Amino acid sequence: MQVSVETTSGLERRVTIQVPAAQIDEAVEQRLQQTAKSARINGFRRGKVPMSFVRRQYGNEVRAEVVSEVMRTKYVEAITQEKLNPAGFPEIDASVNEAGKDLEFVATLEVYPEVEVGSVADLSVEKPVASVSDEDLDKMIEVLREQQAKWNEVDRAATEQDQVNIDFEGFIDGEAFEGGKAEGHDLGLSSGTFIPGFEAQLVGTKAGEEKDVNVTFPEDYQAEQLKGKDAVFKVKVNKVSEQQKPELNDDFFKLYGVEEGGLEAFRADVKKNMERELEQTIKNKVKEQIVTALVERNEFDVPKALISNEIDALRQQAVQQFGGPSNFDASALPAELFQEQAEKRVKLGLLMASVVEAKELKADEAAIRAYVEKLAESYQDPQQVVDYYMNNEQMRQQLESAVLEEQVVENLLNEASVNEVEMSYDDAIKPAEKNAEAA
Amino acid sequence: MNQERIFKVLLGPHISEKAAIVADANNQYVFKVAADATKPEIKKAVEALFEVSVTGVSTVNVKGKTKRTARGIGRRKGFRKAYVSVAEGQEIDFAGAE
Repeated sequence: MQVSVETTSGLERRVTIQVPAAQIDEAVEQRLQQTAKSARINGFRRGKVPMSFVRRQYGNEVRAEVVSEVMRTKYVEAITQEKLNPAGFPEIDASVNEAGKDLEFVATLEVYPEVEVGSVADLSVEKPVASVSDEDLDKMIEVLREQQAKWNEVDRAATEQDQVNIDFEGFIDGEAFEGGKAEGHDLGLSSGTFIPGFEAQLVGTKAGEEKDVNVTFPEDYQAEQLKGKDAVFKVKVNKVSEQQKPELNDDFFKLYGVEEGGLEAFRADVKKNMERELEQTIKNKVKEQIVTALVERNEFDVPKALISNEIDALRQQAVQQFGGPSNFDASALPAELFQEQAEKRVKLGLLMASVVEAKELKADEAAIRAYVEKLAESYQDPQQVVDYYMNNEQMRQQLESAVLEEQVVENLLNEASVNEVEMSYDDAIKPAEKNAEAA
Repeated sequence: MNQERIFKVLLGPHISEKAAIVADANNQYVFKVAADATKPEIKKAVEALFEVSVTGVSTVNVKGKTKRTARGIGRRKGFRKAYVSVAEGQEIDFAGAE
């Protein structure tokens, strides 16, 4: 087998491979003999067909089969021999394919770029540092109480914190307009869901009261014909209700899975959750910084095949996300939509892989287990979650790559300088400007 | 023998295990021929169509099998078969002329 490799451009390689004729012909002959044993041709009993007939009938077919097989295996051999690292599938074309002549074929493929991750020693990463204070904790518990709040009807004038149940009909220039009418609508007076000014004018009304509310639709209102118009709403208040937050008692705690221990245990539980969330967010933020820096700092060519694969994957994802019909052809989406994202993801994947290789990182059993256990902490039955992940091959692989990714980030963090930035819990928990697109 | 007759004599190759054996061993080729074809006619037709020299022709009338069905006894069609010997070193390739 003779192999020659040419570089046509950047990452593209042309591999020309020659296979001696004898090797092919022998394989064809062998295959024909096998066919002869079971071939059926009129005028002959099964297995009694002379070779000359078999050759004439099946010769070309068998040869094509053998050649494509040989091309595939020889291609793999050639690749390993020449130590090429192909990205995606090659395009294989036979240039000489005749009985009695050496088979010659050309495989055109793209190779993975040699990625060398530059040092990140001069990179400085901002790491938010925050702790959960008692104030933050109180605030969080207040939010939880509000989520569980009930509305109780009261007989008094509505205040800003109340909710009213109203019938209303809107008029512009004395005429009712479409969509401006509803009955029995619940409206929180500080919810901001209605046109500005509407809610404020209802403060102070009582159940059974009727009132005309004058408002102006804002210029950026979504309905075209209503933009900027003055309108009068005839409103009838049916009910005024007051928000009642649940007491901090055992019943309330139970809703959040704290069966015993009362307030103390509840606070501890909430605090633990907040801390976990904080930790996670900080980790993501740091990771996002590292990852962006990596992609920005390392410029290299990316094989087209990988990008187009990634684009396909992204298309599928997009279709799933937007809930297209199941028979929706994902390839109909324009490739340009995903080009940039795909390129970034492929680059990142390559960079990550090269870091893993360079540092000889490995996701071992213990690391994976630790990762899963952490993940499982917030579930009701951690053990079940751990078992689920550990016994599912696909899940396990995902975990492995997640663990590896974490190790990469950690590794890079050790090199880079980390600036710790003190900030409040609220600031720290705020999502980073861009979501992590880590593969 | 006129040209028209040449195309009417030979009906097609007769392919069988025996035909394959005699082709190998005696350089004989087997044809189905018209029921009224004579040996000289067959010789001329083969020489004209395949451009070989024929050294001998044997013929045989193959009788159709009698088949019994619920409706009584029937008989399948028979045919005339010719074994044509071709001069040494020459051969007929049926692949192109079936």
